[in-house]
Parts: sequence; structure tokens; C-alpha cells
Amino acid sequence: MNRFLLVLFFCAAHLAYAQTLDDGLMMPKKDFCTGILVTHSQWNNYWEGTLKRDNQNVGTLSTTNITWLGNYGVNDKLNVIAMLPYVATKASQGTMSGMQGIQDLTIGGKYQVAKKEVGTNTLSVFGVGVFSTPLTNYTPDNLPMSIGLHSTTLSGRAIFNFATKQGWYANFSPAYVYRTNVTLDRNAYFTDGVQYYTNEVRMFDQFNYNVNFGFIKNGLQTEINFYQQDTLGGGDIRRQDVPFVSNRMNFSTIGVLVMYYLPKPKNLAVRFASTYTMDGRNVGQTFSVMGGLLYTIHFSKK
Amino acid sequence: MKLKYTIVLVALVTLPFSCKDINSGEKLNPLQPANQDETAGGWKPIILTNYATQLPLPAPAATNSASYVAEMDVIKKAQSKLTDAQRNTINYWSVGGVLRWNQVVRKLVAQYNLPPAPRGDGSYIFPDAENPFADPQFPFANPPYAARAYSYVSVAQYDALKAAWYYKYLYNRPAPYTVDSGVKALGPTSDLPAYPSEDAVLSGVTAEMLKVLFPTAVEEITLLAADQRNAALWSGKATDSDISAGLALGKAVATIFTANSTGVFTIPGASGASTTTLSVNIATRGRFRTDGIGAAIGNATQWQALADGAVAKGEIPWISQDLPVRPPMLPNFGKVVAWNMSAGQIVSERPGPPPSTSSEEMKTQLQEVKKYSENATREELAIVYKWADGAGTYAPPGHWNDIAAEYISNARWSEVRMARAFALLNMALHDAAVGCWETKYFYFNPRPSQLDPSIKVKTGLPNFPAYTSGHSTFSASAAAVLSYLFPNDAQFFNDQAKEASLSRLYGAIHYRADIEVGLAHGSRIGSYTVNFAKDPQKDGGD
Repeated sequence: MNRFLLVLFFCAAHLAYAQTLDDGLMMPKKDFCTGILVTHSQWNNYWEGTLKRDNQNVGTLSTTNITWLGNYGVNDKLNVIAMLPYVATKASQGTMSGMQGIQDLTIGGKYQVAKKEVGTNTLSVFGVGVFSTPLTNYTPDNLPMSIGLHSTTLSGRAIFNFATKQGWYANFSPAYVYRTNVTLDRNAYFTDGVQYYTNEVRMFDQFNYNVNFGFIKNGLQTEINFYQQDTLGGGDIRRQDVPFVSNRMNFSTIGVLVMYYLPKPKNLAVRFASTYTMDGRNVGQTFSVMGGLLYTIHFSKK
Repeated sequence: MKLKYTIVLVALVTLPFSCKDINSGEKLNPLQPANQDETAGGWKPIILTNYATQLPLPAPAATNSASYVAEMDVIKKAQSKLTDAQRNTINYWSVGGVLRWNQVVRKLVAQYNLPPAPRGDGSYIFPDAENPFADPQFPFANPPYAARAYSYVSVAQYDALKAAWYYKYLYNRPAPYTVDSGVKALGPTSDLPAYPSEDAVLSGVTAEMLKVLFPTAVEEITLLAADQRNAALWSGKATDSDISAGLALGKAVATIFTANSTGVFTIPGASGASTTTLSVNIATRGRFRTDGIGAAIGNATQWQALADGAVAKGEIPWISQDLPVRPPMLPNFGKVVAWNMSAGQIVSERPGPPPSTSSEEMKTQLQEVKKYSENATREELAIVYKWADGAGTYAPPGHWNDIAAEYISNARWSEVRMARAFALLNMALHDAAVGCWETKYFYFNPRPSQLDPSIKVKTGLPNFPAYTSGHSTFSASAAAVLSYLFPNDAQFFNDQAKEASLSRLYGAIHYRADIEVGLAHGSRIGSYTVNFAKDPQKDGGD
């Protein structure tokens, strides 16, 4: 269903060591980190509304996501982050054709609002603004095969980060996501008990948050995390119906993350992450695995 | 200065939020017909036989009688304390009941157009009209079911309104707002006689038809029907007696369509071991009960015979590609009674055979489908999605009702002529469903994705044989009727039909033979209804 959302979210939330839009870490001034992350996610079961089921006409729905990521330290307090994924979907059974293409460009700014030393510990607060918009004219009207929802989003996020001198950290980050309405190639559709005569679909906003616990020292980061997304409106998939772009897509995931800066070559990091959907509504029960390479360029140093 | 920036900031932040709400409705005009079609009571009925003898509606009380004056007081009292909700109800129905109810049927089709889910053991249960609240819900409003449903509602409305017009101009009782200046006209006004109320006629006939077509929507249907009658009263259009006469007339017409009665009720026992037959002396059973829909699903022996028949002809038989394998959709729908074609005409209009599944021609056509399955452009995909009309939608017949509604609303026709337009359109669409399904199950031809499993489709693959394309047949039959009704826009309707037809090739669901032959077949089927409409002995509305 919304594996693309999951995928997009995983990029945003679970990727980075000092790079993501929802962690407590910052790229130093004039450092630029860039890389490619490859995510494979799949589900066999999904929630039709709140009813968990499988569907032999889909079998296993798998999504491959190749994302370019860049993060630049404008200064020590402001990072600018951009991401661009290519997404491909495929069903293992049934007759439905997979889809693929460039999905949505995400650009975000992360600003350190406050930082306070408490004994040997550090408490930091960040404000994040994120804009994402589809770069290609893919359709959101062929779920679960569509590569995205084709909505432009604006989100505001706060990050509360607590870190100890030894390297332990805890992170809490809630966000509100404003989503623009989307348009379909058809002039009528039925959802949530109403027959609409327009090609425009009302997209309800979303609230999400993540909680992370981890340890970071000597170029090694390990983490466990929890993520919850709630869509603030929208209809359920009815019995044996196909999913629809404005369905109320809710889910929670647990995940792990490992990132390691290789001793050689210098500035190169490998990253691994995995997540599992524990509960959901109108989404697939996704299991995803991500691997990637990130390289940091220090523009400030000659 | 600071305040100014604050206002700009607040506006920027709140603007996108306030813009997101969308209007669900079609843009329909208030009902202001250029002509009331005073002679429509003389047009021929379709199912009814004689408005006067079949539906002996008594004369109303005179407008100077005490009872009528009392009725006027009821309206005045209601109008003196109308709430905003009541005014909204008046506005809602002011576009005319025919258009509103057509929207309601489209909504119900979309709501009920969901196939049964498989059970754990891979089998399917058919929706049960006797237990409609169970899972799977009744009905599964698939395209043929939908075509039939639209046609019954439209034809019943058309017959009921012709009967209403007969009595309106027989008794000539004026509308309340013309009798007493104390009664306000809160909707469009006209010189149409008020007895029986056309709104009440429509509420009665439509609600009764919808209750048998969509039994679990009974609450929504009856509330809407009551709203329509209330709106007629609150707006000063009709009195209680206009309304009760209209409601009785509407319900009586629906009963003639739906009566389940040679007087024999055959009730199978729950275990299947015993059957109770109860004979009651009522009138003849209605067309709705005897048109063959009950046998349309068929049974396992018949499904196997279809496959065996194709094999005997040396062809590869169609196989369901749903998983688990699903029984074919309504294989005997081709034997359901059509409106303007006899059973013989359904058979004689059946197209010739498709290319043999073993022929070079079929290989060539399969290659073309494969090409679209791999290389459809974004523009071609937009056409696929525009015309997908699959599960959870109002189905292809609903799409053509949607297209027609705008033209019918803009035509400034009387209610009875609007009902005629939808009746003609939906009779043609029903006949297209019958003709197309008869063809599909006669040839039992496999889908492209069955002959070549590497072909993947761009939207839901329907669970019935390929030849000929339902979209093409429906669309051409609709375009034929709409081109007759709105000749200036014939080019547009034909272009839309062509596009709908091509959408199935682009979507890798149909071969070129399916869509081209389907279009020609649909066009011929549509001409039967056009000829019906043109014949004063059969219709009389021309």
C-alpha cells in the first residue's frame, strides 16, 4: 500500500549518522556528505482497513528504492539536506504490472535552536522544515503498484536530543506533515462513503513521531528506533477493494540502524538499517532492509 | 509594521489548509425546463400497459375545498420556521429528482461494486439476496449487474413520470404557490400541474426499485426519498394530497416492475433438504423477477461446459486469472431479457468469431498487446486510468451516465424528458451488457495475459473472457443514444467511446479485435434503442 511512504520515511528517518532530518546530529560547517542508499522492502500481508489479510493476486509486493542523499553544513547550526529516490514496485503473483520511476524530491533545513550542557550530558533542540514534491508525473491512482502518492508536502519537525559523554543518546522527534491535494486522471471516484465528481482528492495531513535509543562512538553508531505515523482523516480500504490514495494510512515500525565510518578509505561510511511494521491500517506489513555508502567531503580543509 | 508581517505570515500558514476542502458534487442547473412536455401522458409506456386502467388515481379535492385550505396552512406553517438544513434540502432537490437519483444510483453502484473475498480454503461464496447483510455483501454491483440496475431505475422512473403527466394534465390542479400568495415558491417555479407531485412519484418509484437492487442501503434510500417529498412541500410546490397521490403512484409502478408473484413463493429450507412452496393469489410477477438474472451466475457444470465447448472447437478456453481461481462473472447474463432487442436479435447481432487462439493473426495481435504492456506512454496510461472503471467505481455504464448528466442538465428539459433520456441511455447500456456477455461466453476467448503470462496489465483484469470488450460495447451503445439525443455533440461522444475502447488495449487487457469488434457491436445495439425512440408507436417522445 504505502510502502513508498515507508520507504520515503525510512530515508528521512533512519539513514544518517549526523545527516538526517530527525536525529540529534549535525554536519559541521562546510562539510558535505553524499551517498547512495538502496532499500528493499516487501510485504505479504496488509491491512484492509483494520483487517489483516494476504492477497494471492499480489503475493509479495516488493519495492526497490535507490536514493541519492546529500547533506551540507551551511554552518555548525544549520544543515541543508536533499534526497531523491528512484522507486520500482513489483508483485510476485497475479497480473498487475509493476511501476518504476523517479519519485519525490525532498529538501529540508535543520537548525539547532538550543544546546545545553547538563553536567557531562548534552540536551539539544532542533527545528526542521522539510519540503517534498514529485519530480515526475507518475500516477498515485494505481495502488498498490504506484510508486508514490504524488502529493507535495510541507512538514515541521522538532527534535529533542539527549546525549551522554560516553556516547549514549536518546531522541524524540514529532512532526506535522501538511499534504497538498492530488489530482487523478479520472473525474470521479468513490471513497469513504462518498461519490466525488472531481479529479481532485482531499489529502489529510499527517502526524508522526520517532523515538530512538543508541550509542555512538569512534565512528560506530548503533541504534534501535520506533516510528509511528497517523493520517488525520481519510477512508478505509473496504472489503476486497483496492487501496486509494487518500486512505487513512497509519502504521508503527521498529527498526535497527548500524553505521560505521571505515578507517580506510577515510571519510567513507557504510550504513545498514532495517525496519519492521508492527501494526497498521491501510498499509502493507513491510519488512525493509537498507544498505548504503556515504562519503563526506570537507570543503573547509584544503 | 510588525502586525502587517504577522498577518501575512498567518495568511501564508493558514491559506493552504483552508484550500484543501473539495466539493463532491456535480454542477447541475436548477430545474427550469423550456417546455413541460404537456403531452407526455400520451407517450407509450414501456412496462406499464395503460396509465388510466392500471393506475386508477382518483381526482383530487377542489382547490377551494376545506381540506385543500387546511393543506395550504400546513405548508405556510412549515415555511414559517424553515431551518438552514431544510433550505439546503430544498436546494439539493431543486435540480430535479431524475438527476439527483441518477447520482444516487451511481454512488450505490460504486459502493457495492466489490467482488466477494475468497474464504480461507480458496473458495468463494456468492452474495445472497436473501441474506444481503452477510459477507460478501449483496449485491456485487459488477458491470452487467450495474447496467441492469441503472436501466430498471431509469425505465421505471420514465414510465412513472409518463403516468404522472397523464394525471397532471387530466386533473390540472395548480401548484400551491399559484393558488395562494401566502405560500412562497422557494424553488424554481413552473406552470406544471401539481397533482400528483412528480417529486413524490420519483421518490416512491425510485426508492422501491433501489430497495430491491441495493437492499442493505434501505436506510439511506428511504431517508433520501422522504427528503425529496419534504422538499416538495417546504418549497411550496406540492400539498400533502399531491404528495400522497404521487407516492402511491410511484410505489404502484415499482410494484408492477418488481412483484414477486405468480403468487408462488418457493423457500428452500436452511439445510437444503426440504422446500416449502406457498401459493398466494396475487398478480403476475414483474419483469424484474422474470428477466433471467437469477440464473445469470450459472453453476459449476455450466462453467465446465463453456470450457469444454471451446476445446471442442479447437480453441484454448478462457481461465480465470484471479487467485484463488474465481468462477466467471455472470456467464448466463447473455440470456437476461434485453429492453429493445429480442433474444433472437441478441444472437443474430453476435459478432463473428475472434482470431483462432492458434492462428498467426492471434500471435500478431498478442504482440501488439505485449508492446503496450511494456511501452505505454504516460498519455496512454492516463487514458487507461480515466476509463478503468473497475472495482469500487460506478462501472462503465455509470461513467456514461456521468457523461450524460451534464448534457441532460444543460438541455433545460422537463423531468419526464430527462427521465426519457436516462431510460434510453440505460436501456441501450443494458442491452449492450446482454449482447456483450452473450458474445463473451459464446466464444470463451482467453485474455492476452493468459496466452502470454509475461503480459502484465495496467489496471484490474476483469474476471471474464476477452472477446469482445465490454468497455467498447457499452461505450459505443451509449454514444449512439447520446448522439441521437444531442446531435451537435455526436463527435464528442464517438471520440469518447473510441478512447474508452482503446484504453483497454493500452492497458493490455484486450486485443485489438476485442475493441474494434466491440465498438461496432455496441453501435448496432445502440441503434435498436435509437429506433425505439424514433418510433411514435413505441415511445412517442420525439
